[in-house]
Amino acid sequence: MTKKLSAKTLKKSFLNWFFFNGCSQQAESMLGMAFGQSMAPVIDELYDTKEEKSEALQRSITLFNTEAQVGSICNGIVCGMEEANANGESTPGLIESVKVALIGPTSAIGDSLWVATIIPILLTIAISISQAIPSAPWVGPVLYMVAYPLGTFYLSWYLFKLGYRSGLEGMSAFMASGKLDKLTDSMTMLGLIVTGALTASYVSVSVPIKIVKDILDPSTGEMLKDQVLFDADTMLNNIFPALLPLLLTLGVYHLYTKKHWSPIKLMGLILVMALALTGIGYWTGFYA
Amino acid sequence: MQLWQILLIALFIYLGSIGSIIGNTLGWYTLGRPLIASLVVGLIMGDVQSALVVGIPLQIMYMGSVTPGGAVAWDLSYATYIGVAGALFLGQGMDTTQLIGLGVLFAGIGGFVGQLMWNLSYACNLPLNLVAERYAKEGDAKKMYIPNTVLGQLIGFACRFIPAVILLFSLSAASSQADFANMIPAWLMTALTVFGGMMASLGMGIILSFLLKKKYQLVIFLAGFILVTYFNLDMMAVAVTAIIASVLYFVSISKDSTNSAEGEAYND
Repeated sequence: MTKKLSAKTLKKSFLNWFFFNGCSQQAESMLGMAFGQSMAPVIDELYDTKEEKSEALQRSITLFNTEAQVGSICNGIVCGMEEANANGESTPGLIESVKVALIGPTSAIGDSLWVATIIPILLTIAISISQAIPSAPWVGPVLYMVAYPLGTFYLSWYLFKLGYRSGLEGMSAFMASGKLDKLTDSMTMLGLIVTGALTASYVSVSVPIKIVKDILDPSTGEMLKDQVLFDADTMLNNIFPALLPLLLTLGVYHLYTKKHWSPIKLMGLILVMALALTGIGYWTGFYA
Repeated sequence: MQLWQILLIALFIYLGSIGSIIGNTLGWYTLGRPLIASLVVGLIMGDVQSALVVGIPLQIMYMGSVTPGGAVAWDLSYATYIGVAGALFLGQGMDTTQLIGLGVLFAGIGGFVGQLMWNLSYACNLPLNLVAERYAKEGDAKKMYIPNTVLGQLIGFACRFIPAVILLFSLSAASSQADFANMIPAWLMTALTVFGGMMASLGMGIILSFLLKKKYQLVIFLAGFILVTYFNLDMMAVAVTAIIASVLYFVSISKDSTNSAEGEAYND
């Protein structure tokens, strides 16, 4: 008799993962224990003897890491493979190697497509809404609080079921079809435009250099007080609006990706620059 | 500030941190976002308007703090709840710019404490592997939730909730001791405002590192940039334009491949 996982067990496995995937993160097995908790009901249903359960549980808590929301597809695939294994159609060694192989691609897709693209876009829209309705700015965050968790829950559950139903073959067929690349490319385009606009709207840097003097008006012979002779910031912005914020952002990007500076180090650099600019600004009379 | 307000904010700091009991989707990626955190603090403190004034710039600054693990610049949940709460406690009578400056300052302090606590819980979770291995060896599937959810969250709760309560109590005590609006020198406020504006570039820079895969894509980023600087569109208009552009792009590249597939079929 072939064994088949019940719908209830699959749902339990998914919910265990969705809610508790980060509960015991550490450097040794990363999300391993959480993966084990997700697999526990599956293993309990599929295997009969204590030895079989013990062996299956031990391979479920080994090193595992992914972007957990999109990574639910891994849990689905492993559920399918454990089922096949219980029916003698797969081997423990295969399950382990597939599990490790899934870490890379699912984290990459999850991080770049979902987390780094969808979240900033949704937050940006939420912020725009908040700013568009000054009398009720809470509408923006409330919208995000509903849209993001619900959307992610459905995506995560869909991917889990997809992984279980079509297995590794299904996932690789989907990836090989090129559909995912096209989707990623399009989402990237969306993300880049929004990031560009956010940079222009919210990053601010000024050159606080201003020369203010009292000058003599030759035609009337009067002294004109506090005339701005030179304002570096206005001049730069006339040439290319928001040039400095653009350069600063690209500079940070360069240091982060090419020179592998940590965010903390970058934060320190920005702090030093901010203090220096403030100092210059007070010195030239730009602030005060 | 009331005791219940401190406890409630501390509870949300825990819920919004990485790997809390409600999951990262509802926790870290929702309650932990500065925009949402500021709404929550605003509701608890009874001043949603001011809370969002601080929350929106913080959200922009920390837009790039998305992934748990390697790229955690700062514990976002700690940073934003403490930042917004600190600005509301101590910023009585301050104008908008000063309020934001204060928020940036306390977010830095909160984020720093949070980072220490994250490292602590990361280390304390290590021995849990032994517990999990023992239950696994015994084949006790029904007990696999104990090391992960129960023990992991006891550590997580202790590392997040208790320091948060201490931090918030100190803030509350400080606010009744002194008049911060007059105590903080003007130059420090200016420096914090400058710092806040520049910090947004960190968020954007990290997001770019996820998105930019080919050099030419920098042009797409610039397109979004000039839509604001030259065309003066607001964010909502840019978002809509971007969605239209990406849908058209998706359709056009999908068409290309079906055409070439048909072409290949012809050649056969």
